[in-house]
Amino acid sequence: MAGKSGTPATYSPSPTTGKKKSTLFKEDWIRPDGRGFHQCRPAFFRTGAVNAASGSAYAEFGNTKVIVSVFGPRESKKAMLYSDSGRLNCNVSYTTFSTPVRGQGSDHKEYSSMLHKALEGAIILESFPKTTVDVFALVLESSGSDLPVVISVASLALADAGILMYDLVASVSVSCIGKSLVIDPISEEENCQDGSLLITCMPSRYEITQLTVTGEWSTPKINEGMQLCLDACAKLAKIMRSCLKESASDAQDESS
Amino acid sequence: MSLPNATEDLSSEMEVDAFRRLFPLRYFERHLAESIRPDGRPLKEARETSIFLGAVASANGSALVKIGSTTMLTAIKMEVMTPSLESPDEGCLAIDFHMPSICSPIVRPGRPAEAEPVVSKQLSDTISSSGMIDLKELSLVGGKAAWMAYLDIYCLDADGALFDAALLSAVAALSHLQIPAVAMNDDGKIVLMSEEDGQKQAKEQVNKEKRKLTLKSIPLSLTCILHKNYILADPTAEEESIIETHVTIVLDTSGQLISLYKPGGPVLAFTSAIQDCVALTRQRVKELKSFLDQANSAMEFE
Repeated sequence: MAGKSGTPATYSPSPTTGKKKSTLFKEDWIRPDGRGFHQCRPAFFRTGAVNAASGSAYAEFGNTKVIVSVFGPRESKKAMLYSDSGRLNCNVSYTTFSTPVRGQGSDHKEYSSMLHKALEGAIILESFPKTTVDVFALVLESSGSDLPVVISVASLALADAGILMYDLVASVSVSCIGKSLVIDPISEEENCQDGSLLITCMPSRYEITQLTVTGEWSTPKINEGMQLCLDACAKLAKIMRSCLKESASDAQDESS
Repeated sequence: MSLPNATEDLSSEMEVDAFRRLFPLRYFERHLAESIRPDGRPLKEARETSIFLGAVASANGSALVKIGSTTMLTAIKMEVMTPSLESPDEGCLAIDFHMPSICSPIVRPGRPAEAEPVVSKQLSDTISSSGMIDLKELSLVGGKAAWMAYLDIYCLDADGALFDAALLSAVAALSHLQIPAVAMNDDGKIVLMSEEDGQKQAKEQVNKEKRKLTLKSIPLSLTCILHKNYILADPTAEEESIIETHVTIVLDTSGQLISLYKPGGPVLAFTSAIQDCVALTRQRVKELKSFLDQANSAMEFE
């Protein structure tokens, strides 16, 4: 109805009583959702969310909701050169309503390549030579720790599609705010963090596929943060594994 | 899904799945001859349909709709704009239909699906011509401020009858939409009112309470595919790829025709075929309306 050119400029009405960020994170603060500093949000996973895809998964971490579809292995683009090993192609996009202010999700262009780098070490690319596996993620609602959630769900979707991997990939991030470390931060916490640390790992092999550190960190803080993330990843992978087992046993029940 | 014992056809020597891929039309016609469809449905039956309201917590109105595997997620976000000079007392409704690359193997990032702009345009045309929404209801302060309702529909899983599912989810989200309570502050900006400070503020209240839109007539649709003399309701993606003649009929809940699309296709739609389609749509609209009412009353109950 309203064309791009003729659209009048719009704004979303803001609340009258705006909380100041500085008052939110003083000395003894509690997290806005009432969690402990080292407590993750409850995670919910489901495989097989999209029938049109070879494999798919959906996850909810609090209000962060993500859906990932995997297509292929299928023919690589014509322009691609011959390759003995398979190719991985990743894309992360946001819905226009994922963020509180409409249409801000497109700011995360770097997530596609970060997802690619996090996954490529875990996939046995030699198992599908000459072809491409596409991993597409759509963030339905964004409420913090989007990238780690996308990575974990993507590895679950790959498993659902039957793509060979060395292990499931689990990812967790930690924010450093003042003196405290908070795990699995929500958007409000991410917006005023002093530094962040993201670990993507294969827990059963105890191998890290991606480590991103931004901001100001002291060595003991980094050690503490990494240990927190690794422990959380191990727990997360257990939940993901049980989700896969459940869907596999459901499928068996149906066929018998 | 096993084929009936064939006599001397190729299919007797071939696996069902291979036959389905190599000769999709023959496979399909074998089913039609038995008055059944590959997914086990009778010819004129629509797939199982479900509506879930309020799926997106951060939106002002939202709905998740499933017709078979076809899944649509719709959310409405209300923003404020300055109305145009031609219609100072009217708001605006912007409808966008998205097919992200997760929904189907044929959509790739950066290469939007052909259906995307087509369905988008059809939806805006249908909703504006049905007169479902009075844009005057979206006005806040005449000439100064009005609502801009952004209605975004995302296809999460594409398995045929995209327009039907998209329209149903748009209508469901509109029925769930709650316009927030707002006031105008001294700078002439519109701000949200929280429930506690509603009274003490000296601001000019322009929308005192949360309210719903009045939906005058509700447009709902059914897509049929025509093949020879057969009419099949609510096709899957596989059926749509085999048969090229589609007819989409939109009726409102009182049975009035709002629009009819028959984009090309080799089968000529004779009056009788169109009449049959309209009759099917009339039935389906009744069914969809009752689903919609159920979903809405479930919301009120909570």
